[in-house]
Amino acid sequence: MTLLSDIRDYPWTSLIGGLLPKRVVTWLPARFQTRSSQIVPSASIAGNALTVVIAIMSFLACLTAGAVYMVNRSAQAWVNDITSEITVELDPINTADIEKKMTLVSLFLAKQKGITEVKPLTADESAKLLEPWLGETTALSALPIPRLIAVTIDRSNPPDIALIKDALTQNFEGVTLDDHRRWQAEIKALTRSAALGGLAVLGLVAAATIAVIVSATRSAMATNREIIEVLHFVGANERFISREFERHFLGLGVRAGLVGALAAALAFLLFPVLTHMLGGGIVTAAETERLIGSGELDLAGYFLCVLVVFVVACLCMVTSRLGVIRVLKSYE
Amino acid sequence: MIRFDNVGLRYGSGPEILRDVTFHVLPGSFHFLTGPSGAGKTTLLRLLFMSLRPTRGLVFVLGENVAELSPAGRAELRRRIGIVFQDFRLLDHLTTWENVALPLRVMGKREQDYREDVTDLLRWVGLGDRINAYPEILSGGEKQRAAIARAVIGRPELLLADEPTGNVDPVIGNRLLRLFVELNRLGTSVIIATHDHALMDQLDAPRLILFNGHLQMR
Repeated sequence: MTLLSDIRDYPWTSLIGGLLPKRVVTWLPARFQTRSSQIVPSASIAGNALTVVIAIMSFLACLTAGAVYMVNRSAQAWVNDITSEITVELDPINTADIEKKMTLVSLFLAKQKGITEVKPLTADESAKLLEPWLGETTALSALPIPRLIAVTIDRSNPPDIALIKDALTQNFEGVTLDDHRRWQAEIKALTRSAALGGLAVLGLVAAATIAVIVSATRSAMATNREIIEVLHFVGANERFISREFERHFLGLGVRAGLVGALAAALAFLLFPVLTHMLGGGIVTAAETERLIGSGELDLAGYFLCVLVVFVVACLCMVTSRLGVIRVLKSYE
Repeated sequence: MIRFDNVGLRYGSGPEILRDVTFHVLPGSFHFLTGPSGAGKTTLLRLLFMSLRPTRGLVFVLGENVAELSPAGRAELRRRIGIVFQDFRLLDHLTTWENVALPLRVMGKREQDYREDVTDLLRWVGLGDRINAYPEILSGGEKQRAAIARAVIGRPELLLADEPTGNVDPVIGNRLLRLFVELNRLGTSVIIATHDHALMDQLDAPRLILFNGHLQMR
């Protein structure tokens, strides 16, 4: 009940008023107005240093959170792409009329339930797939390159792959079906590693951010010890003193956190431009996009940045309260 | 109003600073607390102000057994006591008026309800023209008067002052003493810790004398 009444009685309106610029606050109702002068001074050398430190750590935390989010999102997209497709491979050796066989197999596949698209690849298209490994050479045309049929499946109503596989083997000689299961397993392992690695980095950055913010807030609190002393001696209780400091440090945390988050958002917006300016050509851009997507955050990504600001502000607030309690305990 | 029963105090495992201190102070009285430097005057004031706990014995302040009070209860009791520090303890980022109004703000009173009271008190202590000045530009005497005004604005039942004339010249010291006497006439009990004999000689008030940790009343 004490906690509930504490939350109910908390001066939220004046707290919000304290976060907004003075010009804006003058337009708000009286309950949003903060008193003429703040008991905890808004500007001090320690406070300014703390603002800079929090802004930098918030920037790094948002950057890491955003990057991890983008890699995860891209990795998920790879897995989704690969699970939506199967490939049918036709052995070119011992096949008299491969084009006819391609057509027959394609027609057979198109009739199966759960298959949405069948796309037979031409000989040139199949050969092109080998270019990244063998280079652009005319020798490719002389090689017996397997012919491929790309089959898109309906993920909401998938076909019975094993049944299609058996039917293909029985009806067509030299035809195999690859459901990418091995690839899927490897990519899932890769994305899981990437996600775990990203989370580990995020965890380290979060731990460093927490440590730096707690330490910097404590230093700032130490410079305000005299204020706590005076308030204590004029009869202020722990609740009153904590509120004064919480209001100050919450405002500081929100402002500094927002600066860091906005800088990170700007960095994500400018990322494609920067890649281009730093000498990345079309190929680099394509590779980067394949790895981490477009480099821009979506709405959920920006929400993560807002979450970082919220956590940072709460950290400042809680640390200041603990600092007040610690100082007051030394007087009791 | 105040009662000390066999109070002893030591810091950590050091020697006892106060030994078997026993005395009582009646409401509306005026006392000097004196003794040589290091005799424990400030320590005794801190016990009275509940910023220290005795190692042994009982301390009653304004009728309350301090040992039985919660932190919130002690804060509540402190609002009925005014304290003046030797080093003033004014907040440099607040104006003289804001510093003096601080105890009322802490009590949760509305500014419009005490605006005139604070201004009147500042005029009464001779700081009417320094209302909007910040402490760093005030003289020692002005700071001390502001600190006294802050201590009495909440109309305390007990006023404690630690060497209030220690940082001011004799003329200002005498003016401050007259101020304390006037407050005492208005009903506030006053205890002034000082080793300034010239100041004490000006007033026929009982003296609590601390020597070697023991207290005598003359």
